[in-house]
Amino acid sequence: MQLALIILVPLLGAFAPALRRRDPVWRLALFAGLPALLSFSLLLSLLPQVLAGEVLVYQWDWISQLGLSFALRLDGLGWLFATLITGMGTLIIAYARYYFEGKATSGRFYSLILLFMFAMLGIVLSENLLFMLVFWELTSLVSFLLIGFNWHSQGARRGARMSLVITGGGGLLLLAGLLLLGQMAGSYQLSEVLLAGERIKADPRYPVMLSLVLLGAFTKSAQFPFHLWLPHAMSAPTPVSAYLHSATMVKAGLFLMARLHPAIADTELWFNLVVPTGMLTLMVGAFVAMFMHDIKGLLAYSTISHLGLIALLLGLGTPLAVSAALFHLVCHALFKAPLFMMAGMVDQATGSRDMQRINGLWRYMPVLMVLTAVPAAAMAGLPLMSGYLSKKMLFVESLQVSYPFWTTVVPVWVTLAGLFSVAYSIRIFHNVFYNGRPLDLPIYPPRQPSRRAMAPLALLTLGCLVVGFAPALVYDKVVAMAVNAASGTLVPAYDFSALSVARWPMIMSIIAMIGGALFYLARNPLFAIHSRLPEVDAKNIFEWIVDRAIAYSQRRVYQLENGSLQRYLALILVTTVGLGGWALLRFDQWQGPIALSPVDAMSVFGASVICLAALGVVVFHHARLPALLALGVCGLFVTLAFARFSAPDLALTQLSVEVMAVVIMMLALSFLPQRSPHESSLPRWTRDLTVAGIAGIGVGGLAYAVLTRPVDSISDFFLANAVPGGGGTNVVNVILVDFRGFDTLGEITVLGIAAVAVYAFTRDLHLKERVAQIADEHWVADPHPVILSMVARLVLPIALLVSAYIFLRGHNMPGGGFIAGLITAAALTLQYMAGGLVWAQERMLTQFRPLIGGGILLAGVTGMGAWVFGYPFLTSTFGYFSLPLVGKFELASALLFDLGVYATVVGSTLLILANLGKLMTVAGPGKEIG
Amino acid sequence: MRLEVILPIFIPLIAGTLSVVVWRSTFYQRWIAVLGTAALLASGLWLLSAVRAEGHVVMQMGNWQAPFGITIVADTLSAVMAVLTGLMGLVVAIYSLGSIPASHERFGYYPLMHLLLAGVAGSFLTGDLFNLYVWFEVMLLASFALLTLGGERAQMEGAIKYVTLNLFSSAIFLSSIGLMYGMVGTLNMADIADKLSEVEHTGMVNVLAVMFMVAFGIKAAAFPLFFWLPASYHTPRVAVSALFAGLLTKVGIYALYRMFTLIFNGDVAYTHTILLWSAGFTMVTGVLGAAAQFEFRRILAFHSVSQIGYMILGLALYTPLALIGGLFYVIHHSLVKTCLFLISGLVYRLTGTYELKELGEVYRHRPGIAILFLIAALSLAGIPPLSGFFAKFIIVRAGLEIGAYTLTGIALAVGLLTLFSMIKIWAEVFWKAAPEGMDMERLKAPVNDSHGRFMLTGIGILIAGILLLGFWGQPVIELFEVMAEQLMNPEGYIEAVLGGEQ
Repeated sequence: MQLALIILVPLLGAFAPALRRRDPVWRLALFAGLPALLSFSLLLSLLPQVLAGEVLVYQWDWISQLGLSFALRLDGLGWLFATLITGMGTLIIAYARYYFEGKATSGRFYSLILLFMFAMLGIVLSENLLFMLVFWELTSLVSFLLIGFNWHSQGARRGARMSLVITGGGGLLLLAGLLLLGQMAGSYQLSEVLLAGERIKADPRYPVMLSLVLLGAFTKSAQFPFHLWLPHAMSAPTPVSAYLHSATMVKAGLFLMARLHPAIADTELWFNLVVPTGMLTLMVGAFVAMFMHDIKGLLAYSTISHLGLIALLLGLGTPLAVSAALFHLVCHALFKAPLFMMAGMVDQATGSRDMQRINGLWRYMPVLMVLTAVPAAAMAGLPLMSGYLSKKMLFVESLQVSYPFWTTVVPVWVTLAGLFSVAYSIRIFHNVFYNGRPLDLPIYPPRQPSRRAMAPLALLTLGCLVVGFAPALVYDKVVAMAVNAASGTLVPAYDFSALSVARWPMIMSIIAMIGGALFYLARNPLFAIHSRLPEVDAKNIFEWIVDRAIAYSQRRVYQLENGSLQRYLALILVTTVGLGGWALLRFDQWQGPIALSPVDAMSVFGASVICLAALGVVVFHHARLPALLALGVCGLFVTLAFARFSAPDLALTQLSVEVMAVVIMMLALSFLPQRSPHESSLPRWTRDLTVAGIAGIGVGGLAYAVLTRPVDSISDFFLANAVPGGGGTNVVNVILVDFRGFDTLGEITVLGIAAVAVYAFTRDLHLKERVAQIADEHWVADPHPVILSMVARLVLPIALLVSAYIFLRGHNMPGGGFIAGLITAAALTLQYMAGGLVWAQERMLTQFRPLIGGGILLAGVTGMGAWVFGYPFLTSTFGYFSLPLVGKFELASALLFDLGVYATVVGSTLLILANLGKLMTVAGPGKEIG
Repeated sequence: MRLEVILPIFIPLIAGTLSVVVWRSTFYQRWIAVLGTAALLASGLWLLSAVRAEGHVVMQMGNWQAPFGITIVADTLSAVMAVLTGLMGLVVAIYSLGSIPASHERFGYYPLMHLLLAGVAGSFLTGDLFNLYVWFEVMLLASFALLTLGGERAQMEGAIKYVTLNLFSSAIFLSSIGLMYGMVGTLNMADIADKLSEVEHTGMVNVLAVMFMVAFGIKAAAFPLFFWLPASYHTPRVAVSALFAGLLTKVGIYALYRMFTLIFNGDVAYTHTILLWSAGFTMVTGVLGAAAQFEFRRILAFHSVSQIGYMILGLALYTPLALIGGLFYVIHHSLVKTCLFLISGLVYRLTGTYELKELGEVYRHRPGIAILFLIAALSLAGIPPLSGFFAKFIIVRAGLEIGAYTLTGIALAVGLLTLFSMIKIWAEVFWKAAPEGMDMERLKAPVNDSHGRFMLTGIGILIAGILLLGFWGQPVIELFEVMAEQLMNPEGYIEAVLGGEQ
């Protein structure tokens, strides 16, 4: 439980500063500092148990199927890191209290820093690999927000974005790596993974897994060439840099490498991946740091270099390398954080971080100078300082590399890097505090930094000294315990006295120190050379790459998605034809066992007319009226085909649909220009013809193949059950209103929606040009001929009777609600055409929308009626009744359903027609027809 | 008789027609909108609990035994999708109360919304191939009408492409149904699955599979069939875009999952390999398309395409874990993408623009909205422990388990690009200093009118869902395990449909 508290306290604490962000800074610092301190003390209180070698585990299921659990683990390694995180965090919070004095943003800073602490603690205290990954991503994210803290500056935004992309990308690789690792180990629980080292290293997937995990670690820990994000993260406020980019976040990758050490490390591949990367990082960082004029820039590159150093140590695989790595990690945290704090103070005091301008500050801030001298010396690795020991440990280990080729390269390389690090360490101290006088500083004379602000700095400086003078104290207790936990074995105690007498390390050390000093002395010519080199800004390169990538994808996307509907259709067709054709390549027998029925003249004639008419539509499509006529011919012959192949219902429906469709389309087309230009070029025309032709032939062939094969279909059931089960002899109608009544319900809904859509669509449509055109140009001399209107009025009652008849007989004979509806609609349409819109509208008894809504409701409610009797939806019933005069007749519940269909069809058709027609009138939309 | 399985279709249908009947009263229509969608959600939950208890809930319409009548059937997948439909409906309905202009309300916005939901729910619940087509048509027409509501020029252009390409999909779908009927003589999906295994010519079956794949692939917006989506999603009112983003493509995905687990599971080496590559290309094209966009909604629309790829990938990998991942992605994506669209609408309300170049500094004045956006955006990018992480995680894990390294790599890389793109929006809209000409007064003014509250309520529900899926994923994953189990073993479904009235 204490374990959970350690990480939860900062999380909960993060809310207070956010909620009380208008409070004075000191109070916010208190809000933030207390949780950090609490976690820190909790950790201290657990030290005895950890020292005794206990591994505390706390577990709670999250998603057990995925191997994910809230699982925490505290052992020596975790303790070391967690203590660093909370301890350093507390000091940073104290320091930030002065940094943020008088700034309104401190609440946000404190919340985020606690959130970050939470995330870091999560990484180092996770027992479950996937759980760790969650925190891993969280640190990337919070650091994104922290780097972009000053979001009004474009540099900060870009730096933040770059760091997130690099570390976030690394996180994704790590995800894949950890997943593989878990699969290889058979568990995502750390305690089991750590024991499965043998199996993991023998697995064929080991190289892939290792590369992925290491890439994750390298991106996070700013290893070459992923180090680029770190210098640009320096646009964050200095406390952030001091915390994230020296002590915590960048150490997460190293932590991971140490954590998984027993499971994945110390193979040749490990050495080959980690050591060269570490060496490159070490050298690049150290070298570039020397040439940074920005204090924070120098510190950033020096951090990179030290991260490389630690990675190198972790990769070496010599007996005490891990010890050295962790020891140096502690030392680095202790000397780097105060240097960052110094940078922040100098920045605030002088308004600049440029070391070419900041000089000779010893006059103004002597205390700061003394406090800086110690960590700078530690960084340089001067004797008696913590860094001296850790650097020597590095030299010792470098001499023990057993892989050929590397035996000499590594020692020489690290000595050289040591030389550079001495140089930049001297530079940061000497440049800032000596080296003449300040040059036009923005704030001159520099402000005095507050004494109290130096307290955290002083504490850390003291820490450097303690470690330097009594290394065994820190090492034997804390580091050894961490190393034991990390390596899974008992590591022998480190003999620091032997270190001071070892010969070669001493020589290497001396070379580094003297060389470094000389290098620094030669700085001016070197700077001159450096300034002549072209300036490379990784952020700009990154932005450039991003821009290019965007431009590239833009081109690609527009190539594919260029707004042309024809192209889209062509692509879809080509896909279908291509994939389908591929499947059909193996298909050789198109003709099935059923013989073709004999061909007669009528069928041939009908088929040819349909084909010709269809071709006619294509040929005439620029002239709309002929095209429409050709389309009508097609429809008519389909109707005839239905009639010929004994489907009178379909024929009737098709016929009435055809009539209404042509009327509606005539109306709609009249709004468009009567001719359209020729848009297509010949190649495109050919392309379209080919694609469409192949697709058509393909579907035709398939239909042929299907139709010539025998099949057992469900239609026999319909034939057999229409009368006994559905109470109607017209099987088509029984299917429509009973067997598959649910489809019909859906279809009338579609019709209703279409009508509503047209209605909504035309409501405000003012076709100005069109109306003006009508005003002076009449298509016909007399829009409403007398004879037509007289006849239409006579026809109406007859047509209504016919439709009633068709409706009623529908269940047993060809007919039904749908056809009847269309007939009614046609008859009413005739009234509109003959008498004019206004005339007809005045005489309509009802609006159309209620007809549509009511129709669907009626059909639906009839269906629901079955529920009352405990039957499924749409279960129908029927009975035979007799009345005097009329005789015996049948009533079926399906008739009510059909009535709903009828109403919807009438309402929808007329709603569409009337609204389109209204557009034709001079008055335009005018009064709503609904 | 199983009322619960038909109610999710029936409630929106009735609500829609009632809204048509009370056309003149926006007051009633608004009430019906909220109550109807809430009832839809409730019925979905009822169905889900029934399905959890029994596995499958079946209703034979008209009391005609399958395969002769139309069967409505829910397994876990269908039930979960029904719940999703209800949730999306409710959220969008609430949001619409605050964001749909009166002119749209008077011309059928609410009825169309209900009918769209009916079409969606019908597609999820039907067990009959032709009936599926009918619901597709309901959906298509309702969505087309919603798309044109308002009648602006850009809308028309988008709508024309939308309707043409979708009608094309319908035509292919219908032809495929015809061929299928000619081949096996039945329309009931369970019965088809049963009989198709006896058909000798795998070539013909595969052609049919491809045709269905294309038809549903168009609906789902898969590569290279997705063009209608980026052409149209950014044109209507944002509530409509949000509803589309949450549900429309999901119907296509659902249909693919249904068809390619239940019916076309014979020649997996052919069909699912096509799906695999389509998934890869879909992911990449979508995300690259998004990188090139600088309009809030267009970025979101292109990402939809990209994420469809993940969902198809789940199906294409065709292992239980992959199906869990793909379907988890469906749910997650509905919540997140709808949420992001709704947030873009809120930002639009505050600033009057969707163009990133014209936006800025929203974070400073509206930190609350910024945080809501960040949660949703990071979830979309798959940052733990939000819902998107699990969705991506499961798929990646499934991919690694069967050694599909290339596609897993693509999935991961696309995740990174998604993150990048979300960060772009964040930096431009929320961080960047306000560009000249931005109306700062409106941004600074407090949102405490009822409109703003409705909008925030809708967004809040979705954010809660995203967080819940992330932190309380265990029960969800358990449910999805059952779902994947059912999909991998379609015998249970066939048995439930053909085995008789339950």
